[in-house]
Amino acid sequence: MQTSEERQRNRWLQRLRLDGPLLCGLLALAAISAVTVFSASGQDWAMTERQLIRIGLAFVVMLAVAQVPLDTIQRFSLPIFSAGVVLLLGVLLFGESSKGAQRWLNLGIVTIQPSELMKLAVPMAIAWFISQQPLPARKRRLAAAFLLLMIPTLMIANQPDLGTSLLIASSGIFVVFLAGISWRLIAFFAVLVGSFVPILWSFLMRDYQRQRVLTFLDPERDPLGAGYQIIQSKIAIGSGGIEGKGWLQGTQSQLEFLPERHTDFIFSVYSEEFGLLGVILLLVVYGFVVVRGMQIAMRAQRVYQKLLAGSLTLTFFIYVLVNIGMVSGLLPVVGVPLPLISYGGTSMVTLMAGFGLLMAIATNKRLVMHS
Amino acid sequence: MAITRAKRNGKKLQPHLGSGRFYFALGVLALVFSSLVARAAYIQVIEPERLIVEGDRRSLRADSTMVQRGSIMDRNGRELAISVPVETVWADPQRVHEGNGLLNRERWLALAEVFRVDVNSLLSKVDDPQRRFVYLERKVTPAVAEFVRQLNIPGVNLKTESRRFYPAGEISAHVVGFTDIDGRGIEGLEAIYDAMLTGTPGERVYRKDAKGRVVEEISVTEAQQPKQLTLSIDQRLQSLAYAELKKAVRYHQATSGSAVILDIKTGEILAMVNSPSYNPNNRTDLQAHRLRNRAITDAYEPGSTMKPLAVVAGLEAGVIKPGDMIDTSPGWMRLGGRRVSDPQNRGLLSISEVLETSSNMGSAKIALAAGVDNVMKTYAALGLGNDTGSALLGESFGVLQDRRRWSDFEIATLSFGYGLSVTTLQLAQAYAIIGNNGVRVPLTIQRREGEPAGQQVISAETAQAVLGMLENTVLEGGAKRARVRGYRVAGKTGTSRKAIAGGYGDEYVTLFAGVAPVSDPRLSIVITINEPSGDDYYGGDVSAPVFAEVMGDALRLLNVTPDNLEDTQLRVAGFGGPSD
Repeated sequence: MQTSEERQRNRWLQRLRLDGPLLCGLLALAAISAVTVFSASGQDWAMTERQLIRIGLAFVVMLAVAQVPLDTIQRFSLPIFSAGVVLLLGVLLFGESSKGAQRWLNLGIVTIQPSELMKLAVPMAIAWFISQQPLPARKRRLAAAFLLLMIPTLMIANQPDLGTSLLIASSGIFVVFLAGISWRLIAFFAVLVGSFVPILWSFLMRDYQRQRVLTFLDPERDPLGAGYQIIQSKIAIGSGGIEGKGWLQGTQSQLEFLPERHTDFIFSVYSEEFGLLGVILLLVVYGFVVVRGMQIAMRAQRVYQKLLAGSLTLTFFIYVLVNIGMVSGLLPVVGVPLPLISYGGTSMVTLMAGFGLLMAIATNKRLVMHS
Repeated sequence: MAITRAKRNGKKLQPHLGSGRFYFALGVLALVFSSLVARAAYIQVIEPERLIVEGDRRSLRADSTMVQRGSIMDRNGRELAISVPVETVWADPQRVHEGNGLLNRERWLALAEVFRVDVNSLLSKVDDPQRRFVYLERKVTPAVAEFVRQLNIPGVNLKTESRRFYPAGEISAHVVGFTDIDGRGIEGLEAIYDAMLTGTPGERVYRKDAKGRVVEEISVTEAQQPKQLTLSIDQRLQSLAYAELKKAVRYHQATSGSAVILDIKTGEILAMVNSPSYNPNNRTDLQAHRLRNRAITDAYEPGSTMKPLAVVAGLEAGVIKPGDMIDTSPGWMRLGGRRVSDPQNRGLLSISEVLETSSNMGSAKIALAAGVDNVMKTYAALGLGNDTGSALLGESFGVLQDRRRWSDFEIATLSFGYGLSVTTLQLAQAYAIIGNNGVRVPLTIQRREGEPAGQQVISAETAQAVLGMLENTVLEGGAKRARVRGYRVAGKTGTSRKAIAGGYGDEYVTLFAGVAPVSDPRLSIVITINEPSGDDYYGGDVSAPVFAEVMGDALRLLNVTPDNLEDTQLRVAGFGGPSD
């Protein structure tokens, strides 16, 4: 129970339908992002400014999403999902290619990336689908949920964008997991996925993806080619030591040895300059955001809200894990930015829209209680 | 509390959604977060030394500034070995592939044509796109370099290297030696003085960024310029000695020949030539035997050129005096079942006449009288069986046996130059000591300023006496063809059969060793002609004329005052001597 003073203080936040602790965590990440992007861009003010504008925009989007009534969101879950599938189909048929992948759809006025939309639409739709019937869900419904999940996953994997498709698949799986799928079924699917891996390797994966996995297993295999990024990145992180080289002092990043240093590999820049202490600080902030997200999920009243909030939080955490795991050599290189820190707009806006949903769920309950 | 409320509310609205899974997920989250921290800690705390080194390896660069190899000069500053900048054609196969350089087959054909190689072998060098450096052709002529520059094939580049050039060519090839293609000395003086000639390239350590821009200079080491090497060699004497030697070797169809000119006072080697020689500037098809600097590497049994040394031994031991007479009749004697003989019975001979007639009997008797210890002591004092101090690559010490028991026959043969072996240079040194009043100065191949401190190894009287006898040998004896117009010459011929397995064969080594001018000896010259296969095989006929030519020209070139004016005829065109 909150004290009355706390309620007093949180009243204006309540009115904006924002969750105080979560907002604090997000603002802290935004600050770290601005500082690190400035260093990683080679002290480029213009880039830092653009990043700050994007952060502001993303917070506005979050605020806007948070205002949408949850019932509306729940009701439009499936239509949004369907629209997303149609757009993905459009990408498949009329999409624009860049760098060997077909991910963009030109709608005449704007060019959009439907896979970004699916990052939110999939957990929404699966959560809606499962919450339609009393829990625990029947096996038939779970199977249907999986089929629903596979449609966008395969379409995105086909673009090809393996990283995003796996993230989207996992956001759906999280919903199913949180809904209480039996452990026996989980084991069954684990075996199924395990046997799917060889098929994936030899038929579905592209050459560059196989290369990434092989390079992940032994980056020194090809230090000038595919292993270059990961070796440079590990050197950057390691040479930071415990206390780091200091802001703007990292040689690996400032001297441009790090590839993609302001986007996917920004964590290396951060660790080189701020050291282990900085890394622990960053992970504490991320951990705080994730724990708060889970707390919101557990406090939510409706199954749909619980599942959606839990899935969004876990997916956010997966982003963090995949990116840091990638740059520190624990996981293969997949093009996933460090959420809310990396330079770049699209994924930040999507993530913040997701946090807008979390905010809506967090504050919705209180409104119910007060009314 | 909040959780229990949520649970209660959840139960009320939607049964069967417990928080168990959420707690499970949180547990997994905590585990994964700790593993991420652990991973970062591992990289940043356990591994950083290696990674910091790797980081430096990426940003730290060291550049070296090239220094030209030092030149080698003769005593008068004439260049014997110089380095000139030339261009080398190399390729970066990766760039070649990136720039689609292989599409221009005509250009590669043109390139192969100027290199005179097969186009396919050229293309196979740039086949592997992983490689970043391959030589296509090293040290090309400026014209070819310009051609390559204009062909402008992507990935094919030029870089400056230095090429060693030997202006003296084959004349001084053996002394100077040569370098390999990377500029390291591998033969002759180039090899011995490699470190001195190479110098130390300067080094600059700096930090650069991934685009190659220098961002920090860490240390600069100045280059140490290499030193020049100035030799004792006089290239003029070297050329004339080589010309005469080569002529003689060819005329007598000899296997090889060597000539050495020493400055008696300073111990400097003024000339050292061998035939056959080679062109150090073009070493394709080079036969290994031509590389031998035979004047120091090949030791021969010196034959009769040892007789004056035996006389020195006798005089030094006091068993004979310059005016003594020696009975050589009946022209032969038996020593332990072996026969020592002269071609004819020469009867009673003065010591000088022993040398003039090159009497084996005479020298054997002197040696036997002096005893083997004195003979060996004298030979060693005159530099046989030891190094000459010139410190040349591959120098042989010759063979001077050190043993307790010698038969009389062996002692006798030592006196006329069998049973020991010497190099041409050692022989020249021994005669130089006789010409230098018995003072031995260490030999050198580098130019010496002033006369070095010598060591009196035999008495001046003995040296003077033997010098006089050697002059008589040239005037009266078998070495008449060694006479030089205008100068008094002292010298001795030598002809020795070459040892083969189980005895002596039919091949000869002919030698002539001598000094001039006798009034104040300046030069000691030895000519060795190995295995002449013409009609002549006596030292007096083969080596002595070469000696006379070389000695005469050398003395005149060095402006040595003639000391034999009676012999000099004033010759005017049309009023000369009988030969004119």
